[in-house]
Amino acid sequence: MTHTLHRRGTRESLSEDYVMLCLPAVGVNDEGHAPKLKKFLEIAVRYDPVNIGTIKLGNMYSHSKEEVVKEAQAVVHAVFVKQEQVTDVLKDLEKADLGMSVVVSGIFEKVDECIEKAGLKHHTANFSLGIWGKTEKLPPDEILEVATMCGHAMISANLIRSMVDEIKAGRKTPDEAAKVLAPNCACGVFNPARAAKLMAAMAAK
Amino acid sequence: MKIDPELCIACEACLPYCPMAAISMKDDVAAIDEDECVDCAVCLKSGVCPVDAFIFEPAPWPRSVRSTFSDPRTEHKETKIAGRGTEEMKTNDVTGRFQRGWVGMGCEFGRPCIGTRFRDVDKVAQVLAKHGVEFEPKNPVTFLMEDPKAGKIREDVLNEKVLSGIIECLYPIEKFEEIMNALKEVSKEIDTVFSVEVINRADPDGSYPLRKMLDKMGIPYYINGKQNVGLGRPVANV
Repeated sequence: MTHTLHRRGTRESLSEDYVMLCLPAVGVNDEGHAPKLKKFLEIAVRYDPVNIGTIKLGNMYSHSKEEVVKEAQAVVHAVFVKQEQVTDVLKDLEKADLGMSVVVSGIFEKVDECIEKAGLKHHTANFSLGIWGKTEKLPPDEILEVATMCGHAMISANLIRSMVDEIKAGRKTPDEAAKVLAPNCACGVFNPARAAKLMAAMAAK
Repeated sequence: MKIDPELCIACEACLPYCPMAAISMKDDVAAIDEDECVDCAVCLKSGVCPVDAFIFEPAPWPRSVRSTFSDPRTEHKETKIAGRGTEEMKTNDVTGRFQRGWVGMGCEFGRPCIGTRFRDVDKVAQVLAKHGVEFEPKNPVTFLMEDPKAGKIREDVLNEKVLSGIIECLYPIEKFEEIMNALKEVSKEIDTVFSVEVINRADPDGSYPLRKMLDKMGIPYYINGKQNVGLGRPVANV
């Protein structure tokens, strides 16, 4: 379940990509967890996330934000494009004292700053050592930068190519194309704002 | 997953949606290569088909593993967790699963974009077992092992293809270099890709000993990653 770890991209592009997760530990503190995850999403929504989701239902591109918040359970996600948003959410979560585990994915040094500004401490880290094995089978890096934003691999390389073609042909804007991809990532960890920029750059080549 | 040829209107809209590129046009209708299909249900759940021609019927064992390992909305009966792995470090502040002095490691087969047969997972698991790793008992791949001490995955699922399957294991930090070398060697023998991740508990000063080892050994790692910020309660003694 490392669905937000292996996101690929340049430092500049990843600087606009932060995913926050909130979840209970099964068998330890999961009793009555749903209202706490709902509270997490209510806090996240105050800071204008580009996506929110809950695995059992879907994300804000397949359902309304209100529906996603209402159906929060098991594990919930929120995606932001600025460090300041992450810091503010962490500060509010610290005050809310939900007792649920919270994980932040993003460039280490930038997330470190958010953690420190929020007065929290680093607990445990997960480092990606990249892709091993028969890497010659992989699609080009520019496709992977979009595809790896859905860590469960539900967004196909061919759908990304197809959307880039749509942008090139003038049939879709980059934002519209990103919104075609987003619903397929049920968890809601996909960053449509970043995807739109990446696909616009591909289409411009 | 199947497509009803009587309903398909050959609009081709579904073709790009398949993460395994297993849908193509045959005899003027869309058809699924069932051997390549991982039953992830992206095609069905995207709602892209204008005539609802997709048909999904739960498969019997061993094909049933395709859906449980490929569709994150499907909960594993054994772990009660949706997706392919476990909570790993995400709840370490509460579970204390990863203690100081230990490394948690995950090898996520088939990801990104390629998919995997369990025979490749089996090959790597057996090598890791020889180096004494402890496989995570709640991980769905561990449930497929007929002998977790040897890392041997049961014969009847070896040819099943899934979007991804994760080996999760634990070992003392002193073994890190040995495990990395073994993994590097066996990675040359498999027919798919796998993403590798390592987990480490922070020291009291907030630094990660494993990060220092990665730097010292010259092992490249991404500039981005995941951090648990310690807000879970009750606090684990870790």
